[in-house]
Parts: sequence; structure tokens; C-alpha cells
Amino acid sequence: MDAPGKVTGTALYAADFALPGMLYGKVLRSSEPHARLVRIDAGRAARLPGVRAVITAADVPDVRYGGSVKDERVFARDRIRFAGQPLAAVAATSPDAAAAALTAIEVVCEPLRPVFDVAAALAPGAPLVHDAWASYTALPILHRDGNVCNRARIVVGDVERGFVEADRVFENRFTTSSVHQGYTEPRAAVAQWDSSGQVTVWSNTQLPFEIQTTLAEILQLPPSKVRVIVPGIGGGFGGKLRIGVEHFAALLAMKTGRPVKVMTTSEEELTAAYARQPATVAVKTGVTNDGRLTAREARLWFDTGAFAGSGPGVASVATLMLAGPYRIPNLLLEGFAVYTNKTNFGSFRAPSGPQANFAVESQMDIIADALGLDPLELRLKNIVREGEEGPTGQVLTAVGLEECLRRAADAIGWRDRRPEVGRGKGIACGWWTTTGGSSGVYVKVNPDGTVALNTGAAEIGTAALTGAAQVLAEDLGVQMADINVVSADTLSTPFDFGAQGSRTAFAVGNACRAAVADLKRQILALASKHLGVEESALALREGSVVGAGKRATLGELARISQASGGGLIAHGTFVAPPTPYDTKRVEGHVYPAFHSPSFHAHATDLSVDAETGEITIHRYVVAQDVGFAMNPAAIEGQIEGGVAQGLGQALSEEIVYENGRVLNANLTDYKMPTARDVPRVESILVQHPSLVGPFGAKGVGEPPNIEPPAAIANAVASATGVRITSLPITAEKVALALRERAK
Amino acid sequence: MTRIALSLTINGQTHDVLAEPHRTLLDVLRTDLGLIGTKENCLEAECGVCTVLLEGAAVNACILLAAQCQGRAIVTIEGLAAPGQLHPLQRAFIDHGAVQCGYCIPGMILAAKAYLDTNPEPDGDGVREALAGNLCRCTGYQRIIDAVLSAARALRTSPPSQAAR
Amino acid sequence: MTFDYHEPTSVREAIELSARFGGDGRFLAGGTDLMVQIHRGRLNPRHVVSLQCVPGLDGIEVDGAVRLGARVTHRRLESAEAFQGALRGLAEGAEVVGGHQVRNVATVGGNIVNASPAADVVVVLLALDATLTCLGPAGERTVALDGFATAPGVTGLRPNELLTRASFPRLAPRSATVFLKAGRRRAMEISIACVAARVTLDDLERCQDVRIALGAVAPTAIRARAAERHLEARPLTDGLMRETGRIAAAECRPIGDVRASARYRALLVATLVPRALARCLERIKLGAP
Repeated sequence: MDAPGKVTGTALYAADFALPGMLYGKVLRSSEPHARLVRIDAGRAARLPGVRAVITAADVPDVRYGGSVKDERVFARDRIRFAGQPLAAVAATSPDAAAAALTAIEVVCEPLRPVFDVAAALAPGAPLVHDAWASYTALPILHRDGNVCNRARIVVGDVERGFVEADRVFENRFTTSSVHQGYTEPRAAVAQWDSSGQVTVWSNTQLPFEIQTTLAEILQLPPSKVRVIVPGIGGGFGGKLRIGVEHFAALLAMKTGRPVKVMTTSEEELTAAYARQPATVAVKTGVTNDGRLTAREARLWFDTGAFAGSGPGVASVATLMLAGPYRIPNLLLEGFAVYTNKTNFGSFRAPSGPQANFAVESQMDIIADALGLDPLELRLKNIVREGEEGPTGQVLTAVGLEECLRRAADAIGWRDRRPEVGRGKGIACGWWTTTGGSSGVYVKVNPDGTVALNTGAAEIGTAALTGAAQVLAEDLGVQMADINVVSADTLSTPFDFGAQGSRTAFAVGNACRAAVADLKRQILALASKHLGVEESALALREGSVVGAGKRATLGELARISQASGGGLIAHGTFVAPPTPYDTKRVEGHVYPAFHSPSFHAHATDLSVDAETGEITIHRYVVAQDVGFAMNPAAIEGQIEGGVAQGLGQALSEEIVYENGRVLNANLTDYKMPTARDVPRVESILVQHPSLVGPFGAKGVGEPPNIEPPAAIANAVASATGVRITSLPITAEKVALALRERAK
Repeated sequence: MTRIALSLTINGQTHDVLAEPHRTLLDVLRTDLGLIGTKENCLEAECGVCTVLLEGAAVNACILLAAQCQGRAIVTIEGLAAPGQLHPLQRAFIDHGAVQCGYCIPGMILAAKAYLDTNPEPDGDGVREALAGNLCRCTGYQRIIDAVLSAARALRTSPPSQAAR
Repeated sequence: MTFDYHEPTSVREAIELSARFGGDGRFLAGGTDLMVQIHRGRLNPRHVVSLQCVPGLDGIEVDGAVRLGARVTHRRLESAEAFQGALRGLAEGAEVVGGHQVRNVATVGGNIVNASPAADVVVVLLALDATLTCLGPAGERTVALDGFATAPGVTGLRPNELLTRASFPRLAPRSATVFLKAGRRRAMEISIACVAARVTLDDLERCQDVRIALGAVAPTAIRARAAERHLEARPLTDGLMRETGRIAAAECRPIGDVRASARYRALLVATLVPRALARCLERIKLGAP
């Protein structure tokens, strides 16, 4: 819908946004991972040419904010908790002048004993990242204890009994690295205050309404005094959900009385953004000799970094992923979000999905190998089926998993799993949620017959709003080209839970359906009067109302309504109905059931160079149950992109830490796949319509990112016999593992 | 800071600007000339979103000093087709669904243009190699490759009447 | 932060400017390294002297010897007709650097004076016995590329000198060159290890002349001399090539860093050296009348 502007360079992104007289803000970040902040002196910096303001913790309200735990401040006040934590911000007449001023700010601090990873943070006597954690405001549901800011748990049956029933018990441990969303547009915001005391922030956030709320909290203003507008977003993938640069822009603009723009550098992105949580996963699974799963005890520890952020919620989601899409009668599943002296990790496309799936799907192949079963057969024997229960007791419907597995396996040629030496095929499957949350839209018919869709959701490139517009066009009987979208302005557009969790097309699409139902009533009533035809004899067709041989165009009716009735306008809302689950099975759980779950299987065929360990992917197949394929090309685009990102995490990407500092905070050494690295992805769209989604659609954006690490790990094991249990699966790891085995 | 007078030829037009000598072409395009179609990201020649054509060759504007560009012809995405028109590459990117968030696309299209100008009959591997300096995080590249191959066919059969300047 | 920009129009003028600015000045060619170093705050020159208008630095001349002007870009190396035959290794070293955008501007001279241990083209030039021509206020001198770099980022280039070209002898008949590299991705990679090999066979299929050069496995690009000696006057059998790889792996001095471990780098040398030699052999056979 917006492609012409994007290919001609006229589409406006937040990073492009500028106002007359605008200043440029930059943020001074700590080089120490854990320290007492003794003194910060900005006097010299403030006197440098071009510098208009320097602010530190002393200049901003002392507010602690955060989603599930209020543990974060704008600037470090007395304690530095990670290398990259903001200490001060500067506004100057040019980015260069602001950067120069940063180097002139004097910081004195005394290093403290740090905890750099989960093991250190959980060790007896470990320093607390937040001494005062117990006094923080937090969601009451969380289970917090010292450096653990949440422990989410699912308990079903009795795992000990389940292990006794098993013939074999398998215990494996897996680790994953942090990976960055890698959006090509840095996070950017421009803030401007007006004379009424309202601040407007143009930002590339995925969640304008959440940013509005957080900004109001930080600035201690009523939310109505904060307006957030999303001009355009160059990719998000979950990395642009939480506040990033908006508060610095707003505070600097308040101090200087000028508009201020703040934009991140690649270094800031890789040291102080919301990259995916690194994880350690321990999985213990009991199985009978014929391959029936009897029990699983699994724990996943997320390094959430210095602040809770999305950690408590993602740790909850992780427990559902640890169950896998399998029927296991006895479960003890725990997800932990653990504070460390690292950046606050966050949500990245299907948060927790790849980490948990890598562990459980790798183990499924380990089990199959040990029992001499075909990995596909083992899965088919244990997957959840229509009408069965999920791990927390939700009743599963529209379960397309078997079809996904069979079609992916057929497409990859599963029967010939090891076609030659050093070549093998792997398969992995999973499930995922379609995030709920509410959406509202206004829909208006214009006097020329076109239709305006006004939504609070932002288009982040997933064509999700195109999907919603398609729903609207379909229901209203107009052309897609006749629909114009106004989006993502907290002042003028209706509330939307935001572009997250594979929900936009789903929820906004449903809100559109509700609005159209109302609009249709108005249109038909008016047309009936105008044409003198019974309403029951009228229908909407090709931009007109027709019936009894008569016709009135929508434009004509809109003009009549504008002259006599205030115009044809309707609003529609949608909130996903709650998914019932067994509350007795969960503790500390923020996300106890998957709404309208999707199911998927990935299969790949690859070769491994026995000497260098280099992996060459020949084919990659995805079979995804999308419910209903509203726009197949757009869905395939989501699958191709999600797999490319997943392959990055599987093979090449990792943010490398040493003593709390990032060693590769640049795009030279943070290795995202190039056009030469990504294979052609073959998509199979499986359609088992959901009960709730528009026309049966399910969320499609996140799932393709989940299975690539496990599918690759399984194929590498099939090709070489070597099992890699940590991500990324670099050529080096494979080569050295092959060497070890040869000894 | 002393500024120097620069006369830059961009998309066939001459632009006179005063700029400090350390400023990059990317910065001057975006800040002084409002040509925001050339995007900003890594500033270290790793991502390709700032790709422009310098004497017909694809270069990263983020590591090119504006001062180096005097007397050399620069083409940005804004100059690829006349206003209101689309170059066959732009058309193909739209038709093939190669555009998601779109932030990498101007650089991608210009890198493809430079490549097709010297390799009018490319294959998929050649296109992938030519675009390896342009990161895209949304599409997985497939539709971009397909769009470039299709544009190459279109350009062979009917070259654009309004060729890039 | 800022600097003055100079655009000399002769080699003489460039050297004069360099002499005047001393340590405050930097030559700018493609800028693929200099501009990144400035962006990262690692270099902060007061004067940047662009070489783009200096004539005579961008030639590729092939007669009795091959001469590459310092400003010859990687793209020109990879597309030059002269480097499609026995000298194919040079094009191979050039075509794996960065993307087209980088190779359109990154130069041979810049690659040499940066003295990165992982500079791909330098490794090939080392295998070609390249010599360098440096021009300074006192005149021109010629030095061997081997030994020119003494540490990462450090070379024997004297203050105020400008590297003007790299030269190497033409290859004897029955010669081939090959360049191989390993990285985490298939493009946009700084080598975690790379190998250039040059082989000339005599009429009895024995090695008459061999060079093996390694990148990213020592503080500078190096020649694997023990490995070269091991091949002298012997036919290139599979076993011998594998042995040679092990010898080269033993004589390199890799470090472990964010890109790879020392152990893996040595393993790559042991693997890539025999592969490069085998490919040379293949090429000589294909090229033989």
C-alpha cells in the first residue's frame, strides 16, 4: 500500500524527521558495568561551542518506571548497573558538537563486584543487582526473589511419577546468545513542546500508546499532555516496543525550548538496546521405549540484564514453549528472568520462542536417535491434536500441526534423510500465540466514495495494516485502492495495543469488521430512504448500494449524509476473548495461554564441510498453519524474512560479552545474513481457520523466527553425527566438535 | 569551524552548499539538501542503506566526504526517475512484494541499478553477490532478487525513456 | 572532530602537504578504513589529504612486470583482464572484500598501508613477491612487501612518504595463483583466516617455485616459509599438500578474538593451504596446452 513512497525515497521515517531549529541530542553511557556513581560533572561540556543543554539525573524527576517491575530510571543516579547505562544527555546544534560534549563530561565512579551471567547472579552470596528490589512496585503476580525478578511455573500431574513410568530419561542442557533485532533504521525520536505544556514526540516506536504512558510517567504529566506520532518505522521486530530515545528527546527539548532529535548509533544498539535475552535451558524428558513422552521437567533461565523489562513476561511465555506442541501428561516447567550487570534485554520477534524451541526440539531428535526412531515419527506420535489440552489446560482448536509436519517432511524429501556423506536433513516444529489486546478503529466514507481507516496501530512493514484494510475493503465491497489509512497518533487515532505479538492484522482486521457492520447499517438505512427501496432488498457491491434495479454510490450517500446527517462514520473495537485455562496449573505467570495458536514445521537440507565446519543450506521449507491466508504473498514475505532472521541466530549472530562489555558493538562483527547467506525459502501455507481471527486468520509475523535454530541443529546432527547445543552454530563449533569426536 | 563552499551535482542539478570539510555526503544530502531518500544507519559502510551512485558506481555515502564529490555526478534515489514516474527497478520491487519496512530499499535499488548497468543479463547468484553490501532484515532477500531479475528483463526489452541522469 | 581537506593535484604536492602536516595529516584514498576509524574516534587527523586528483596512481600496467597504482580499486582488480588467467588469485583476493560499494572505492595502496593482518589483497601480493614504491621528499625507493608491515597498523612507510605502487614479476609458464578465505558469512567478511598460493611447476610436474601466504593468523600477513620449503622440487601429491598444510598451521601465530579462536584459525590454515595448492594444480593442468 505504501510501497511507491518507499521505492522512490519519499516515505518519511522517524530517522528522517526534522523540524526547523532542531537540536541534536546524544547520550553519555557508562563504560563501567557495575559501579557506585560518585560524581558527574558536566560543567566543561556545557560551555563547549554549540552545546545548548546537558542533563543528568539531577535535572530530571526521580521516577522509577518499567512494565512489570518499576526498577529503571532515565539516568543512573547513585548506582551504575550495566556498561551502556545512560548517565547524561547533551543537546547541541549539530551531532558532532553533541558528541564532542559527551567526551567532556567527567564521571567518577567506584567499581562494584559485578554479576555477569545467570550462574553468577544465582550463586549463593551473589551481589544483588537491585538491593532494594523488594521495595519496588511490581505486578503482584510475579514471584521475585533477589536477582530473580520472576519465576513463572507450570505444574501438571506429577513429573516424578512420570519419570518412573518412563523407560528412558533424557537430560540435556542448551545455551543461546543474545541477538539483536537488526532493524535497518536506528531508533529515533524528535520532541517538541508547545506553549500549552504539551509535548509531541515523533518516534519510530511499535507501541505509541505505551510510549505515551511511559513518557507521562517519566515527565510526571497527565498522558493527555503527551502526544506520540509514528511517522514511519524502518523495522522493529520487538526492538522498538519500549522507550528508547523518546525520553531523552523530550527532556532535552524541555530544557532547551527547542525541538530535539535523538537517534541511536550502531554501538548503542548493540550495547544498550532490547536485544534478545540470552538463555540457559535444562530439559529432562521421560519417554517410553516406543516413543511416548511421559514427563518433562524443564527450566529456562533468561539473562534479563540490569532491569526486568519484558523479562518476567517472556519467562512466562517460555514455559508454554518448553512444553512444546506435545501431549505430555506430567510437567514441571519453570522460566526465570534473572538480573545481571548487562543491558536490559528485551523482546525480539517471538520472544522466548527460538531459545526454548532450540532446546526442546534438539532434545526430540536426541531422543529419537537414542531410541532408534525416526524424528518425524516421534513427533507425530506426541503432537497435540484437535480438542486436546495445552500445557495449562486450554482447549486447542484448529490444530494444523500434523499437516504442517507431513507437508514439510514430504517437501524436503524426508525419506532420504542422509542423501550423501556430510549431508543431512532436519525438522523442527512448534506453536505460538496470536497476542490479544484491544484495537479500535474509526472508519469514514468520504464524499468521493473512498474510505478512511483511522487506527492507532503503526505499519511496521509487515503489511498488517494492508491486511486490515483488505478486510475492510472486502466487507464494504470497495477496492483496496479506495482505502486510505491514518495511523498511530495518540491524540487523534483510537487506542491500539500496538504492532506486537503477530496481532495487528488479526485485531485491527476484526475491529474493522465491527466498524463495517455499523457502517453498513447506516449506509443501508440512508440508501433505503434515498432510493425508496426496502433495506432487505439492498446490497453493497463495487462501491455502491444496489437493489430493485436502483443504485446509489457510496460517495453519493456520503454527500447526502454530510449535508443532512454529519457524514457516514463508524467506529469498531475488538478485544480477543480470554482463552480459558486451568489457573491451578500456573504460578507467577503473566501469559498463561496461547490465543488462537498457530502451528508450524520447518525442514532443511544442508551439507557440512567436514574440515572447515562450514554449513551450506541447499533447501529450506516452512509449513505454517496461518488459519486463513488473507494475503498469501505478504505472508510468504513474513516467512522468508523470519527465517532469514532465524538463520542469523542459528548460524552467525551473537552479541559477544567479555566481563560485561560487548566486544562486537558494530556491524563489522555483528554478523547479520547478507543476500549471499540466505537460501530460497519454500513456504507452504496450511489453513486451519481459527475461531476468532478475521476469516479465520492467525498471527503470522513471529512464528517463522522460532524453528530455524532447531531445524539447523537437527540437520547438522543428521549430516555429521555431531550435536551442537549452543547458539550460534558456527562453522568453528562444528569443526572443533568434529575434531574432538575424531580423537 | 570553517566551512568550505561546495558545488555538488546531484541528479543533474547543481547544489551550492557551505559545509565543514569533515562532513559526509550522506550528512549533506540529508541535512542540508533534504534528500532523505538516502538513508542513515551504521555510518561504517556495512549496511548499504546510504548507497548512492557516484559516476555511475554504487558507493556508501556515509564514508564519502562531501568535499570529495565536487565535479562528480551523483545520483540518489530521488533522481532515478522523473517525479511521478517509476524506474523499471522501482516498478519491479513493488510488483514482486520486495518492499516491507522499506528502509533498505533506496540503497538496494541503486546498488541493483549500478549492477544492471554493467551486467544487463544477470543470474540470481550474480544479483545476490552484487547486493551483498546491502542488508535487509525484513524480506530474506528472495523477493528483492526476483525483482532485480525481472527488472533486468524489462530493461532489456524496453529501456526506460527517462533514463537516470 | 573536524579537519581541513586538501586535494593536491600532483604527487609532489601531496608529499609536500604531508611533510607540512606531519602526524596531524592523513592521506585519504577510498576512505573505507580511514573514515571508519575517524567515526569510531580512533583517529582524529587535523588535515586530510585526498589523493583522488593526483594523477598517475590508478594504472594497471602489464609488461615485463605488473604494476598496480596505489589508487587502483578492488573492483578494478577483480574485473581486469590481466587477472583472469594465471593471476586469478589476485582477482579472487579482491572480490571477497566488502560489498560492491566498498570495492568500488577501496584501494590497493590503502589495503597495504593499513597493515591489517587480514587484508586479503595483501596476502595475494605477498605470494606474488610484490615490491612497493614509496615516494618521499628524498626521492623514490623500492621495498619488499614482505616485512613492510611490522605489526597491526604499523609499516615501514617513512613519515612524509607516499606509497605510489605495488609491482610484481610476471608469472613463468605453468603457474597458477589461488586465494581462499574463511569467514562466518559468505560476504562482507573480514577473513578469520585466508591463504594465497602461487605454484609454478617444472616439466616433471615438480614444484619449481611456490609461495604460500597467510592472512589473519599472525600480527601481519605472513609467508609460510617452512611450508614453501617443504614443497621444493617435489610433485604435489595429496599427502604432501596435507603435510604442507600442517606445517603452515604450525608456523602461523594466530590469536583468539571475537571472530574466531586461535585453534580454529590454525585448523583453517591446515585445511585451506592444501585446498589452495590443489586448486593451483588443477588450474595449471587446465591451462596447459
